[in-house]
Amino acid sequence: MTKLLDRPFKAFTIYSLIILFCSIPMYYWAVDYIWSSELDEHNQIIKSEIQHQLDQWKNDDKDLDLLIENWNIVRPEAKLTEITYDQVKSDSTYEVELNSAFIDDSDMERFRILLTYLDINDRHYQLLIQTNIDSGDETILSIALVTLVFFLLLITGFIILNKRISIQLWKPFQTTLEQLKAFDLSREKHIEFQPTDIEEFEELNQTLKKLMEKNIAVYKQQKTFIENASHELQTPIAQIKSKLDIYYQSSKLSKAQSDMLDTLQLPISRLARINKNLLLLAKLDHSDFKDISKVNFNELIDESLNLFSDYIEERELKVQKSGTDILDQSCNSFLVETLLQNLLSNAIKYAPIGGSIHIELAPKKFTILNDGAESLKQNMIFERFASVSASQASSGLGLAIVKEICIRYSWQPKYEFTKGQHSFSIDF
Amino acid sequence: MKILIVEDEMELAKDMADYLNDEHYICEIANSLSSAIDKLSVHFYDCILLDLMLPDGNGLELLKELNPQNKHTGLIIISAKDALEDKIKGLNLGADDYLSKPFHQSELAARLHSVIRRKQFDNSQIVKQYNLTIDILAKEARIDNKAINLTKKELDLLLLFIGNKNKVLSKSALAEHLSGDFADMFDNHDFVYAHVKNLKKKLKTHGYNGTLHTVYGTGYKWEA
Repeated sequence: MTKLLDRPFKAFTIYSLIILFCSIPMYYWAVDYIWSSELDEHNQIIKSEIQHQLDQWKNDDKDLDLLIENWNIVRPEAKLTEITYDQVKSDSTYEVELNSAFIDDSDMERFRILLTYLDINDRHYQLLIQTNIDSGDETILSIALVTLVFFLLLITGFIILNKRISIQLWKPFQTTLEQLKAFDLSREKHIEFQPTDIEEFEELNQTLKKLMEKNIAVYKQQKTFIENASHELQTPIAQIKSKLDIYYQSSKLSKAQSDMLDTLQLPISRLARINKNLLLLAKLDHSDFKDISKVNFNELIDESLNLFSDYIEERELKVQKSGTDILDQSCNSFLVETLLQNLLSNAIKYAPIGGSIHIELAPKKFTILNDGAESLKQNMIFERFASVSASQASSGLGLAIVKEICIRYSWQPKYEFTKGQHSFSIDF
Repeated sequence: MKILIVEDEMELAKDMADYLNDEHYICEIANSLSSAIDKLSVHFYDCILLDLMLPDGNGLELLKELNPQNKHTGLIIISAKDALEDKIKGLNLGADDYLSKPFHQSELAARLHSVIRRKQFDNSQIVKQYNLTIDILAKEARIDNKAINLTKKELDLLLLFIGNKNKVLSKSALAEHLSGDFADMFDNHDFVYAHVKNLKKKLKTHGYNGTLHTVYGTGYKWEA
């Protein structure tokens, strides 16, 4: 994942790199062109000067020969050679690379040449003016260096600007994001977004606000529906259960009929408990359970273990309890009892026959460990009706109730699977 | 013994009456708060089974009416709400027990038996059946004055049976009596057999005069 402003930044960087890179030969050509034309001009000036000076020696051929001979010795860069009329051509300018004999350097040097022709005393002379021009690689190197420096300056500027702009620009967005992260539908608390002068963000906030209000309304509606539905279900369930008890008293029941009645008992009890759990969840959402006292976890665990002792024996489970016995919290004892019974009954149910259950109590932590084959789905485990295991007898609400009770008291429920053991812990 | 069932669901009220109508109990039904108040002003009842959610008001209001003149009337709240506040409030206002819907009739009968014993026989803690005597407070059972060593769960079951004389009790009713709401969490209620088997054996070896039958192979019946 990349940050939003990093993406154009990358593109900008690559684009400026290409442009600056392409500019290097352009600069070079431009510099070279200017320089060449300046040198050509310079060579023309030299030519005019030579012509002017030599014109003063017009009359005497002998003196002229001597002068030209000396001239060629002193100024080898402007060499005069006498030629026949046939050899006279039009002027030409060009470049050559020569190894200058006068410089103590084995490098080849570039020269700008003007090859021109002079007429002095009706004699024809060829004038070769060569002026040293910088060899191309030096120019290119300097231009490249300067370009690189500017490129680096550009990038540093981009980075700094990018950071500043992103911090300022995205501030309202970040604030909204933090508020959204903290949003919890089940608390039904509306979010007040900070007003912003950026149109897009303001629109985002308004849309989010509408969305959330709608969600909260739907959530409330759904909760009321579940609560009403489970209230309505209580009576028919009670009637079925009671009818079964009455039917059981009939003296004319056959063995098959009685077996049938027996198999009906478990699903009805299950139905009753799912319904009770739904009611409890609804109640947890909007009731304050005011009756608060110091609740000793150890005592309640012992009571629950006693309640489940038949099942523990039947499954040949080894139950161990360790740690402090002074774990107590100010809370509602009915809720803690419900929480512990849900966790313990799960452990008893899911531990393999002959397996072990370990209960650890610490001053700020409570853990139930039981043997198991494989990890349950971590992210789903505390959700309502999340079928995290294949077992059929689960109401699917036990752990959701545990979570709700924990939320009420700001406790942290946690599930882990390590070394073949399911571990449910609560941090106080 | 006269019982007043205050319950607006007629089917449920009839079932309760049906189950409880044996030689001990005569049940009357009131399906609203006002008719319950009317009946109470004319007759004396040994126990009232009171539903809290009535069409014309909360059953808790009846509790306030009841208190002074009916010292010996037992009261069991039966509620669909399973609300802890209601339970505490009801018990504080003088209810003797609280049962949340849905329940097994045998559970109601056992609670009723216990409430009437406490109310009618001056808080008696002694239950008698033929040559069997149970001291509730001491959690002790005796046959022909010889103590029998019962576990807590066996004693619980024994009291359930005594409260449901000549009734057929299902394995599920027994399991729920012992483990409460969570009984259905577990698929197997075979432990009930073991407890009943042990109880039967102990009663037999000590020479109890009555019988505890196994009916249809899955239920139990305490004959008295």
